[in-house]
Amino acid sequence: MGAKLNSEWEPQLLGFLCKWCSYGGADLAGTSRKKYPPNIRIIKVPCSGRVDPLFVFKALQMGFDGVLVSGCHPGDCHYQTGNFRARRRIAITKKFLEYMGMEPERIQASWISASEAGKFVEVVTEVTEGLKAIGPNQLFDEQRP
Amino acid sequence: MNSDHKMQQKLRHEAKALLEQDKVDLIIGFEAGSLKFTTTPLITKSKDDLDRLVINPFIVNNLALFLPDFKGRIAVASKGCDSRSIVSLIQDNKVSRDDLVIIGIPCPGMIELRKVEKLTGKDRDELDDIIREGDKVVITVDGKGSEFPIAEVLSDNCLACEFPTPQDYDILLGEPTATSQESRVKSRESRVKGQGSRVQSHGEGGGLQSEASPDSRLQTLKAMSPQQRWEFWRKEFSRCIRCYACRNICPSCFCKRCFVEESEPRWLMPMPRWQENLMFQAIRNIHLAGRCTDCGGCERSCPVNIPLRCLTKEMYDLVDELFHFKAGMDKDAPPLMTHYEQEEAEDLIR
Repeated sequence: MGAKLNSEWEPQLLGFLCKWCSYGGADLAGTSRKKYPPNIRIIKVPCSGRVDPLFVFKALQMGFDGVLVSGCHPGDCHYQTGNFRARRRIAITKKFLEYMGMEPERIQASWISASEAGKFVEVVTEVTEGLKAIGPNQLFDEQRP
Repeated sequence: MNSDHKMQQKLRHEAKALLEQDKVDLIIGFEAGSLKFTTTPLITKSKDDLDRLVINPFIVNNLALFLPDFKGRIAVASKGCDSRSIVSLIQDNKVSRDDLVIIGIPCPGMIELRKVEKLTGKDRDELDDIIREGDKVVITVDGKGSEFPIAEVLSDNCLACEFPTPQDYDILLGEPTATSQESRVKSRESRVKGQGSRVQSHGEGGGLQSEASPDSRLQTLKAMSPQQRWEFWRKEFSRCIRCYACRNICPSCFCKRCFVEESEPRWLMPMPRWQENLMFQAIRNIHLAGRCTDCGGCERSCPVNIPLRCLTKEMYDLVDELFHFKAGMDKDAPPLMTHYEQEEAEDLIR
């Protein structure tokens, strides 16, 4: 707790990136030596449609400050419809948790193709900045300040 | 003879005919419960049991719950919300419409005993009788009957009900209740105006009153800051004992194995800490998106009075707002989460 609040605190972002597009985008950002915040930890998923709202919630409960779900642009899904389904799920998860009192900034989604290294850098930077602005995730702490 | 009684006679008659003509193997309805003003589901194959079938203002359970558990042809008594749950189960391929005979009850709303107790100041055991007469309810205490507008004692979810008449049925036990909605809302408004000064605490309801209007609790919550809302739910779920009554009574919670009981991976520890209680309920509600018909069963069954309808109703409104989807309206429509439109909800995504 104490360590979380001091000025050294850096947000922890968990990214679920789809294998076909967004992971490729992140890879390209790395191989083209683009600089992006090291706050993101990446889990490669076969499709953004694989991301269960449970994963998102569990990550936040475990103490991640934010979660990013990223997949192919609508119409580009390797499995045709995975990202459309993901979109419905994410929309509902985000809106519902916002209603329960969670900051909406903590759940983020984006469409990043394998060639959009620039967009990946941009999204991760923006999301990290947003998380820095709202502060550490203390939603599940026993006593909140 | 009031309309409940007429429907009850017709239900017994129809159920008997269905069994006699061998059109169904099983009848699911309600019988009187062991306590006053309660009912319990009656599931039977025998004609002799059918005289125990009842219809009264306390047939609160959602009988769609039992349908996936039985094989064969089933006749089921169903109110407006139940029928939508049945349609939702058909959408999810959990039951087949061909195996069902839906006996529709045009529902005039269910009476909430807690509200009757508050209104009369008496315990439910001290009440002699509660009879519904159209827009009025006659409550008899010590041999003296007094009349109240029905809206004062109806359940919150019934006051907010959009479709009291079943959406899909084979037999309808009375005239469709179409206009009752407006009259209910009207009588509620006049009541709220007239008795606005009356303040009653809701006990454990965390300061949210279930009284004034069905959506007022939601409005109160939405007016709060996110921090206050989270704090509200933290407090509410500190009481939860994780008995899973809300899940077990819900016809839409049909998973054979619930995620809370998974051990590989273990998503939730079984110990009822508020963090995990909250997570359980949040995920349960996400699973219910596009399935919940606002029957109010979860809130009614909660032993520690957590205002669960504030979650289910929000999800109900949310899917309508985002995807213009109402649960259980069309049995041929695909379920919400298996379907998509090319363009929707893009404003939530970067």
